[in-house]
Amino acid sequence: MSILAEVTGNIGSIGYGLATLGPGIGVGLIFGNGLQAIARQPETYGLIRQNMLLGFVLVEALALIGLVAPFIY
Amino acid sequence: MKALTVLAADEFKAPGLELFDLPPIIPGVTWFTKPVLLALLSSIVVIAFCWSAFANPKLVPRGIQNIGEYGYMFVRDQVARPFLGKDADRWMGLLLSLFFLVWIWNLMGVVPFLQFPIASHIAFPIVLAVSVYVLKIYLGMKHQGGLGYFKNMMFPPGLPKPIYVLLAPIEFLSNMIVAPFTHAVRLFANMFAGHIILAFFSAVGFWFLFEQLTPLGAPVGVVAVIMTIAMTAFEMFIQFLQAFLFALLAAMYIGGSLHAEH
Amino acid sequence: MPAMSEQERRPESDGRDFANAAWSVPSYILSGIILYGGGGWLLSRWTGVAVFTPIGVIVGVVLAIYLVYRKYGR
Repeated sequence: MSILAEVTGNIGSIGYGLATLGPGIGVGLIFGNGLQAIARQPETYGLIRQNMLLGFVLVEALALIGLVAPFIY
Repeated sequence: MKALTVLAADEFKAPGLELFDLPPIIPGVTWFTKPVLLALLSSIVVIAFCWSAFANPKLVPRGIQNIGEYGYMFVRDQVARPFLGKDADRWMGLLLSLFFLVWIWNLMGVVPFLQFPIASHIAFPIVLAVSVYVLKIYLGMKHQGGLGYFKNMMFPPGLPKPIYVLLAPIEFLSNMIVAPFTHAVRLFANMFAGHIILAFFSAVGFWFLFEQLTPLGAPVGVVAVIMTIAMTAFEMFIQFLQAFLFALLAAMYIGGSLHAEH
Repeated sequence: MPAMSEQERRPESDGRDFANAAWSVPSYILSGIILYGGGGWLLSRWTGVAVFTPIGVIVGVVLAIYLVYRKYGR
């Protein structure tokens, strides 16, 4: 069976490219909604900031694991 | 561009790393290449600009002093004051120089005929980042004591005791090793990628419109020219942003070692 | 009076705290991954069992998240 199409090169970089899709959307959602919440109720800025940071660190962890994964396997 | 036109092959070859191998300008003096010349030129531009703006300041600013004051106030209010607070005025010289130097370095990437972002040779950001790093450690040890600096950094108050053993290495690695590395590499990677993107789209446009003009290939060339214009605009924004971020992180590191983290 | 001065001082120091936290988040996660993932990798080279490397990476990520939570989340 002959090969019709082929993707050569570093699969790890393709993997990382796919891995940035989810965290990109996640970070956008977190900070977008956080900004809206601050605009609606500016006096709760401290509370919103804490929660934004917490959400951001969880999402960013996934992005950085995606960065490191090609080196593990 | 020379690397592409000499080929005159039938297939388009995308520009690669040979974009960054530049020969010496004066044959025989091997270290004097185009990036070195552009770096010297940027230093002269920054010095000339700051000299003409701030040497004889008048009470009502006119002309170049006006522009210089805009730049000074931007750096002071957005970069220095949030992180350095009251000491901001002492560090303005360093932060202003860093910001303008990195911005002029980056701008060399889009000036016609010069077109080489100096920060895409990693030595240049490394030198700046290492200088800020050495300054950070020196200031931290001077203001918080030699061992106190590391103690305050590695053992932030308010955590349960057994966790310290696991977390102190993370804090140390993050502050001492990852921070200067990302400081330099952030600038380098952005400029490197931007240069390759601009060269790629320009090469595609030139190839499909001038070198091998075909009816099917001409629209590709037109799209590539439009993309070149769009990416140049985006690249100019990124250049400003990266210069601003470089100065901001320098101010953050200096501020972090002046006042201990509470 | 204290409330008013706190209101004036709050945006500036909040901005600084938030910027410190935001820039330190990827830095802590990356160093946790490198440190504990590297330790796990060395451990798996020493014992021959290859599973310690991903375990080390996960442990590093969890510790870094916990560090950010304790330091900036309260």
